[in-house]
Amino acid sequence: MKVNAAKMLPLLILLFVGQAWMQRSVIYPFWGKHYAPRTDSDLSSLSPDQMLFALAGFREMIAGLLWVRADAYFDEGNYDAILPMVRIVTMLDPKQLDVYATGMWHIAYNFTDESQRSDRRYISPALALGKEGARLNGYTYELWFETGWIWYHKIDDNYGEAVYYFEKANEYDYDTIFADLKAAGLNDAEADWRAQINGIPEARKNLLAPAYLRNGDVIAARDLYWSLLQRAEEKIKTRQGDLYVGSNNRDTIEGNFDNILVRMAQRGEFARLRGETDMTGYDVYPPFDVGFSVSVSVIDYKVLLVEGTWGVLPVGTRIRFILRDADYQGAVPGGMVWDKGDEVSFTVNPNETFLQDQLFVRNQRFSRRVDLSRDVTMYPLTKQDYVMEFYYNPRSAPAHIQDKFGFNGEGMTDSNFLNSDIREGQRVVFAQLKITKDMILRTGDYRKGRKQAIVATQNYDPSKYTGGSGEVIQVPGLRSDPPSP
Amino acid sequence: MSLAIETKKLTKTYRSRGGKGVDVVKDLDLRVERGEIFGFLGPNGAGKTTTIKILLGIIHETSGEAYVLEKEAGDIEAHKRLSYLPERPYYYEHMTGLEVMHFYASLFKINDDALCKSLLERVNLANDMNRPISEYSKGMQQRVGLAQSLLNDPELLFLDEPTGGLDPMAHKEVRDLILNFRDEGRTVFISSHELSEIELICDRVAIINKGIVIKQGHLNELLTGARIELVFRGLAPDKAKEIAGSDAVVSQSGNSTVIDMAAGNNTDAIIDKARAGGGSVVSVIPRRLRLEDLFVESVREHTGGAA
Amino acid sequence: MSIILSIARTTIGEAVRRRILLVILLIGILFLVIAPSLNMLTPRQETTVLKGLTLGVIQITSAVIALVLTVYMLPNEVERRTIYTILSKPVQRWQFLIGKYLGAVGALGLMIAMMTFTLLFVYAVMQSQEKPAAPIALFIVTLIALVALTNKLKDKTSGQVVIAVLAGGLMATLYWIGMATGQLETFSDFGKTAAMFFIQMCLLAAVGVFFSTFASPVVNFFLSGGVYMIGSLFNTLFDAVAENADMSPFAKGAVQLLQSIIPNFQNFSVQNTTVNPNQFIRGEFNHYMNLTGYGVLYISILLILGIIIFDRKEV
Repeated sequence: MKVNAAKMLPLLILLFVGQAWMQRSVIYPFWGKHYAPRTDSDLSSLSPDQMLFALAGFREMIAGLLWVRADAYFDEGNYDAILPMVRIVTMLDPKQLDVYATGMWHIAYNFTDESQRSDRRYISPALALGKEGARLNGYTYELWFETGWIWYHKIDDNYGEAVYYFEKANEYDYDTIFADLKAAGLNDAEADWRAQINGIPEARKNLLAPAYLRNGDVIAARDLYWSLLQRAEEKIKTRQGDLYVGSNNRDTIEGNFDNILVRMAQRGEFARLRGETDMTGYDVYPPFDVGFSVSVSVIDYKVLLVEGTWGVLPVGTRIRFILRDADYQGAVPGGMVWDKGDEVSFTVNPNETFLQDQLFVRNQRFSRRVDLSRDVTMYPLTKQDYVMEFYYNPRSAPAHIQDKFGFNGEGMTDSNFLNSDIREGQRVVFAQLKITKDMILRTGDYRKGRKQAIVATQNYDPSKYTGGSGEVIQVPGLRSDPPSP
Repeated sequence: MSLAIETKKLTKTYRSRGGKGVDVVKDLDLRVERGEIFGFLGPNGAGKTTTIKILLGIIHETSGEAYVLEKEAGDIEAHKRLSYLPERPYYYEHMTGLEVMHFYASLFKINDDALCKSLLERVNLANDMNRPISEYSKGMQQRVGLAQSLLNDPELLFLDEPTGGLDPMAHKEVRDLILNFRDEGRTVFISSHELSEIELICDRVAIINKGIVIKQGHLNELLTGARIELVFRGLAPDKAKEIAGSDAVVSQSGNSTVIDMAAGNNTDAIIDKARAGGGSVVSVIPRRLRLEDLFVESVREHTGGAA
Repeated sequence: MSIILSIARTTIGEAVRRRILLVILLIGILFLVIAPSLNMLTPRQETTVLKGLTLGVIQITSAVIALVLTVYMLPNEVERRTIYTILSKPVQRWQFLIGKYLGAVGALGLMIAMMTFTLLFVYAVMQSQEKPAAPIALFIVTLIALVALTNKLKDKTSGQVVIAVLAGGLMATLYWIGMATGQLETFSDFGKTAAMFFIQMCLLAAVGVFFSTFASPVVNFFLSGGVYMIGSLFNTLFDAVAENADMSPFAKGAVQLLQSIIPNFQNFSVQNTTVNPNQFIRGEFNHYMNLTGYGVLYISILLILGIIIFDRKEV
């Protein structure tokens, strides 16, 4: 009694068409939307067996193993080996948040030759990675937040960008996500769990406020603190979440809110809001001259000594110093176009030089030795002409310095280098000097110190610059004297 | 009386890759009547197991017809009324004897623990039925096989080399069981190359070689009347040879002379001549062939004829 | 049906005692147990890597078990001549084949459940480092229960009661451990993933059974393994083709046709949401239902074709 194959044929055809339809029209689109690895990057650095495994349903496994390897490279400081790995791992499993988060962190921060100098050429790919991560993992605040952090802390400029990303991150509010998931039909427990892991922790929402401040929007910062404080109080009152965490958070916000009110008062913000014109009573007025001057001398092969004055008494001023190719692609005064689009490319131009460092002001002076000889891949110095830039944005200043000249440098001035053009609507200090390859390398005319390689601003007066170790710091009084003559 | 098994011109041809067919079974005509023990004999590779597999529907004939219990071979209805014990069967070794019985019972949709146990008792496995099959000897496994083959109270039993690999004691046990089956009215189809067994229990046999049946019939008919043995006293062997002719075998046993010769019309004449030559008749025995002789003879004839 | 179930049960009983399968299973479980010693990353990344790794181990192990289990299934029956005693009973060949298939699926289910359970246990211990005694004790108790369950499978009626009770107990225990360690969501994620692995392996087993109706075990191993590999790569390859502008329409059509013919295994690898629990996919449950439906359709095709071939096969 054999099964009749001919009679089975219609059934078989039906089943076959059914499965093909399921596969092509129902399952595949869903898979492509939610489960597909990214296929837009080069996988050639995987070995064939890894590739086979990776694509054959074991991609999370391979991604994990590669990431363990990458982590070992991080520990060894073998950063160049990590870049392709970060790309492969994020390709195999674009949902691994930590790979994006730590990956972009390492790329932005750790490609460095010493503590304060990192290879700025890698900031763009780090940002692109963050944006890609945020785009592909739209259910969580994390990569918005991390990308915002790069803008806020690493780039420390263009604060509107930091505000944009932090605001995005803050949209991922526990309550919003919870309500959303409930609407999607999840039960309370699961919606709670998912809202917990994807929602921005209450304590992290605060960071948007300093970003507002640095972006020049004091009112927005104050209002944010106020609404967060109310929210924290409400959570405690209604016993939502961990009480200990909740009250800690409340206390922090309260302190921050208090501080901003005090500072607004001290810095005359309320007076300005009231429309008062006479600001003489406020510490931040009248404007005082920071008296910026700088001299750069080449003291050895590829070693610069940057010295100058900055008439702010308290410790805490950091002036940005940039040395770059005169024709550096995408350079803008005091920085560059950091966001170079969405494409994550780790190949940086090996012929471009872009150094960024900070000059620490102590006792109204700064002196820094900048050694460009340490990492030839980071500072190739292949061009003839270079530009050196000195940039100070008062919005980045710490609170005790802003107490001197306001949130936005309203009370700061400089008779030579105050600039309100390069950052629209902002008062910054900006100076530019030119230097040549011959000078830096001490070649040509500058060989063997035949000609001294030194460039300086016109107002630089070596006699005013008294040098010194800066180890003894003059502590300013509460009401500081005008800058020393 | 209806037939238990009937085949007509049953042929099974295996085609090798070269395209040349090998007839494993050729034009096989078998008629097994109900209630008899039928011996299906032949050397190894003669096509016995192939024939059984066709009869059970496990493989399919190339041409010809095969009927089992009046149904076409392989019919599920017929399977309910027959059973099969393959040559040296293996069972799922993790099971105990009783579990094997339960498993096979379930294939008949029989759920009868008492029946399973009683059948195991019948094959003397009552004490071992809760031991796993892996601990059973070959003879015990064979007996489990026999027990499971009785689960459905079959009308027809196929036993493929039922005593293969068994020790002499087990032989006898199996033989007695098979004889019991006949007494219970079952038809038993035994395939074997161990002829001494068959000789003792079969009613009819078919001898198969190279896929062709070379002899088929009642054992008595096949084996008797072929030769005769004459025993004389007082007859000299030389004289006896002279009388009996060159075909006969003459031997001396004590003071008797034995003439072993083909049975024929001249028996009376030879006796007369012997008596005339001084011999007195001790016995005249129509000698029954041993099955083995018949088998060897038939196969030799067949092979010779084919050559 | 009782015949099919009877054959299936026997097949399970046999499969769970096959040494080669048990060795593979043991290696898999060993991997799962030692995997947490990979503690060199940040806590969350460690969890992510651990989940990816352990689920991968379960998937590989199940696939190998599914292949080994099915490629030898029919040949072993013939070699040991058990098939003759069975087919000489009033058993249709389709009943035999489906019984064997269901048995393989049952054994696979048991083994996948065992590995998943081990994984849950390892995970629970990892997450509750202060007081692992409770989960360990419970694990051992349930393990013993599980072994008892497999042994009890032999005895029909009391076995079914035991299975029901133990299955209930098992779920309750898991729930308890999940609650106690705060890992209930992760547990259910693991459960979902394992369930999809199971469907995937059912499909693979059907491929193996289908090929075993005409191919020798070694050939079958590579055939089925190959189909598994290709079926696992297919969406990715198809994506690549779809994005490749240079390809001729004819070649694209051929690839689309292939995508409709070859069983797709990649779809069932849904561990991504478990590995990265942050993502929540709307309609995930429906997707799982669709996958199951797809699996059932394809398995039906393979089994019907297998039966048609097996019906005509001389064993």
